[in-house]
Amino acid sequence: MAGIEQVWVFSEKPALLAELAAGAHGLGEAVEVTALVAGPRGEAEAAARNAERVIWLGELPQGRMVEDYVPTLAKLVETPPQGALPPDLLVNGATRRGRAVAGRLAARLGLNVLTDVLAFASNGELQIRHMIFGGGAVRVEKPLKTPVLATVGPGVLEAPPELTARGGEIVEAPFVEPEWRVTLRERKPRKAAAVNLAAARKVVCLGRGVAKKEDLAMIEELAKLLGAEVACTRPLAEGLDWMPRERYIGISGAAVKGDLYLGIGVSGQVQHVIGMNGSRVVAAINKDEHAPIFQIADYGIAGDLYAVVPALIQALKNRG
Amino acid sequence: MNIVVCVKLTPDPSDIEVKSDGSISLERAEWSIGNFDLQAVEAAVRLAEAAAAAGEESKVIALSAGPEAIDQSKLKKDLLSRGPDELVMVVDDALRGADTAATAAVLAQAVRKLGPVDLVLCGEGSADLYFQQVGLQLGERLCLPTLNAISKIERDGEVLVVERDLEDEVEVLEVPLPAVLSVTTGINPPRLPTMKEILKAGKKPVRRLSLAELELSGEIAPQVQVISTRAPEQRDRKQIMLSGSPEEAAQKLVEQLSREGII
Repeated sequence: MAGIEQVWVFSEKPALLAELAAGAHGLGEAVEVTALVAGPRGEAEAAARNAERVIWLGELPQGRMVEDYVPTLAKLVETPPQGALPPDLLVNGATRRGRAVAGRLAARLGLNVLTDVLAFASNGELQIRHMIFGGGAVRVEKPLKTPVLATVGPGVLEAPPELTARGGEIVEAPFVEPEWRVTLRERKPRKAAAVNLAAARKVVCLGRGVAKKEDLAMIEELAKLLGAEVACTRPLAEGLDWMPRERYIGISGAAVKGDLYLGIGVSGQVQHVIGMNGSRVVAAINKDEHAPIFQIADYGIAGDLYAVVPALIQALKNRG
Repeated sequence: MNIVVCVKLTPDPSDIEVKSDGSISLERAEWSIGNFDLQAVEAAVRLAEAAAAAGEESKVIALSAGPEAIDQSKLKKDLLSRGPDELVMVVDDALRGADTAATAAVLAQAVRKLGPVDLVLCGEGSADLYFQQVGLQLGERLCLPTLNAISKIERDGEVLVVERDLEDEVEVLEVPLPAVLSVTTGINPPRLPTMKEILKAGKKPVRRLSLAELELSGEIAPQVQVISTRAPEQRDRKQIMLSGSPEEAAQKLVEQLSREGII
């Protein structure tokens, strides 16, 4: 497949859309970016700053959802509006809605989707890199069919430093009525997350080795002495429900990359490790001296957490 | 209510072996039911149980597609012991490493072959690749209402009322049937099979289909070529084990953390 020239970008999140549009220019010198915008006209105008062209899908009527644009997007890919060229690469923001749009669009076009791409390389031919096996492996893939559909999260595409404002033209596209629709009964704001683990400098993380919910108090005391946030592995947030979802670290949860990760009763499964191995210092307490966590720890204590944690609390208190 | 629940049977990614050259091997990995798919199975069984309790005839069919390796009696029994009434497998070595488009095409054709279906459930993503795509592509290929991130499902007469767990909001949606839903890992904890269910599982019907029997209309040629699969670059860790009594080990850890400038 030849190099990438026409890149279309779509996201329901204006900030991510702006990042994807600007960043797509870093994929090659000949790249031209078309931003697809669903929302008020002002959002289309804002997107035009980072794109050679904007296809404005219009404002979503009350009670509709962004995913209702899938048939419209499919039609645009097949027959681009006057002045636009069909995409070589179509990038969707990797949100849950973005995944839904990408997947449904791919199915309509008979295409595959490259998900959660971490890097593109386009020296003559396009290759992408992403994680598989719960973070246990990095896979490099070469797409064999165009257009290439991909989902990309924030922080992946970087705009070339010399990129100037594009001021692309805005073309409007008519809405294609979907074959089916669901009725929106209610939107409930999610309770604001009480914690942003991604920004935490220190984290104390609980695993299945912790026997009962009441033991959280002891861990919280330790975390307070360390100035750390409390996090957990997936089973404690989903299944046991001891802690809210936003506190779990792992492939489908949060990723921490602070100064300290202290795992307590954490075995170190790959799906969890992907979320914590960016930490500067990793320490672990586990009663099984063969637990995989010790292979990826700087400091390990093989011992009963119910003896070691109180001793650690005491040692920290003694320090004053 | 006829419910199909799609399940991916895969080598367990926690059994990964990293070779000295950084390449990856799953040859010795045990195959298992995707841990994100167990929640979908549970959701399907709960809906069927509720329908049956209301006097409605109901059935849960588990559907899986993959290479020869998925046709293991242990896997089949494990799956059926979790509540589905029967299992349909599309088995063909051509499905080894199938991309999401091919998998969705195969599952869509299998669902069409199963006859009238009210609901298709999928997990959030597969245990090995976790691309979170197949449920979405499957639904669209079947031209049915299709949603991901479903964290709650309730029946309300002829429709389902579902909650969709997005990053910054929860949508409450009314979905007409038939529909294809991908459920979150938080929707319900999967049950542990009882001895009675384990014994019953061996007697439940299992149907094996080949790709040829599916009579796919389009082609499922791979759309991606895998260039390499390698262990991610790891940071070098010190791997220092702190020995002694709990008090001594704790004291050593405090000293090390202090030396690292953390406390």
